[in-house]
Amino acid sequence: MSGLKIEQIHKKFGTTHVLKGIDIEIEQGDFLILVGPSGCGKSTLLHMIAGLESVTSGTISIGDRDVTHLSPKDRDIAMVFQSYALYPNMTVRENISFGLSIRKVPQQEQQKTVQRVAEMLQIEPLLERKPAQLSGGQRQRVAMGRALAREPSIFLFDEPLSNLDAKLRVEMRTEIKELHHRLGTTMVYVTHDQIEAMTLGERIAIMKDGIIQQFGSPREIYDNPVNQFVAGFIGSPSMNFIPCSVISMDNGHGVEMENEAAKFVLPLGRSEPALESRVGKTVLLGIRPEKITHHRASDVGSAGIHQASCRVEIVEPTGPDTLVFVKLNGVSTVCRVDPDQAKKVGENIDLMFDMNRAVFFEAEKGTRIC
Amino acid sequence: MVNQGQSSIFSRLAVYGALSLAALYFLTPLFVMLLTSLKTLEDIRSGSLVSWPEEITFEAWQMAWTSACIGVDCGGLKGYFWNSISMVVPAVVISTMIGAINGYVLTQWRFRGSDVFFALLLIGCFIPFQVVLLPMARTLGFLGLAGSIPGLILVHTVYGLAFTTLFFRNFYIAVPDELVKAARIDGAGFFTIFWRILLPISGPIIVVSVIWQFTQIWNDFLFGVVYSAGDKQPITVALNNLVNTSTGIKRYNVDMAAAIIAALPTLFVYFVAGKYFVRGLTAGSVKG
Repeated sequence: MSGLKIEQIHKKFGTTHVLKGIDIEIEQGDFLILVGPSGCGKSTLLHMIAGLESVTSGTISIGDRDVTHLSPKDRDIAMVFQSYALYPNMTVRENISFGLSIRKVPQQEQQKTVQRVAEMLQIEPLLERKPAQLSGGQRQRVAMGRALAREPSIFLFDEPLSNLDAKLRVEMRTEIKELHHRLGTTMVYVTHDQIEAMTLGERIAIMKDGIIQQFGSPREIYDNPVNQFVAGFIGSPSMNFIPCSVISMDNGHGVEMENEAAKFVLPLGRSEPALESRVGKTVLLGIRPEKITHHRASDVGSAGIHQASCRVEIVEPTGPDTLVFVKLNGVSTVCRVDPDQAKKVGENIDLMFDMNRAVFFEAEKGTRIC
Repeated sequence: MVNQGQSSIFSRLAVYGALSLAALYFLTPLFVMLLTSLKTLEDIRSGSLVSWPEEITFEAWQMAWTSACIGVDCGGLKGYFWNSISMVVPAVVISTMIGAINGYVLTQWRFRGSDVFFALLLIGCFIPFQVVLLPMARTLGFLGLAGSIPGLILVHTVYGLAFTTLFFRNFYIAVPDELVKAARIDGAGFFTIFWRILLPISGPIIVVSVIWQFTQIWNDFLFGVVYSAGDKQPITVALNNLVNTSTGIKRYNVDMAAAIIAALPTLFVYFVAGKYFVRGLTAGSVKG
């Protein structure tokens, strides 16, 4: 059964075209992430799913039911807001049961639901408090509790963790994922944080300028980005984009690199048909930082892996890895190396380039070549 | 260190000195009024303005309340006081309620042109009373409300709406709209959201609106003198007539007592709710 189906959704505010034909379909029980930079239309889309924003054209169905023109209360949804939006004059208990009392659920059943939700989220001691007496993390839980009380067919989250501090955010992230496993309800989650998107999502829709750039699983999007924007948006530190010219070699193609230490060629170790027409021209090489590492004896001679020496420009230790910045073809390039193997600024370091997962983009437009 | 301590004591003294002078300046007339109202006429004639009464008497108060002559009718201010009450209470309640709903609509249920609507409404705050006198007289006549207390209630409600709407609009604009969105998803409708979510957090601004409207309407003289007649006049008009009615002797003590009676309700409202007034004017953000 379909959990949520969005077809050809357009949204215009006056003359500004905010959403330009959005198509998404997910199965019931899926966890969908809408992610993108601010102003990409992701929140507007979520508000349209909720019915808080009208649709200019297109249809929205929740669980095989067309809800495009239904009001929010008739859509069988629950939503968690960024500011939590707890009713300040009500206690936690009243906040959770408000929706139930509006729907004329019997008092006894309301109290049972409040109890169940409070146990699930461990907020029982807070039930008689007012929102102003709660910490940020507690408010967050209550907001989730209010959504859970309704047992809706779809949960909507509008950047629910962005007001929490970093540690709490990671904890709540895990909890939301656990909750999803336990409930098995369809969830739609808006965020601008690509790490949240990767860790939570089963399906990720990356948006920019009112268009879905790519829709797929976290793995697909990470390994196989459709364009330079997606490649750069997902992953931290971001993928390196190095302009370079393509050359033809005995065993396929390669790209030319230059830095203060040396001039060298990175062979792909394979032949890419799409690169054939671009031999001698400049393309963008996309390579993730973890694919440029310190010298590893076991990798020497492996297909697609090449070693080269580069001058260290900046060193940033992160703990498990050290980020080493080198300059390749005039572009600052991040490499992820073992802290023990990192060199000091100004020294040369031997780096292993794994070209097996390297991708190529058009130099100007940023569209994917291969 | 010693110097610093001294200079801070000096600046403190200067501040308190200035504040005391200002308080004295504003309180002296009230004090003189109070003093005069407690004296006998004899006493007033023989003593000075600020001299202590020979004997304290409430005769003048009694007279002002029950038997002072206002025009040809010698029944005191009593009836007019209740006129004012029965005009002010409904006018304040109605204008505050409608202002609250207006503010709610203008912030949380915006419609096409709602900003223009608000701007036009603001002009209402600046229309001088004199401009509306004649058109309003015709309107009241047309509605059959001329010269009656309901007519005055209507005039004051209409005139106060611009202010009360402004108060509530500026208060509700700071309420996060996610609050209303959450309530809509919870299934609450227009009035449920207003009654159960917004009104319970509107305490400070309701106080501001009530104090403002109460003071404005109670103290109004022009509308009262124009749109009411005879025994339907509000107390401000009656006070004026009382002071201007001559019965041979000028009873300063009665005049003073009457003036204080006319001013008491506004003083009372301010003493009871004054501290919320300042708080309400500066409040706005709803945390939590």
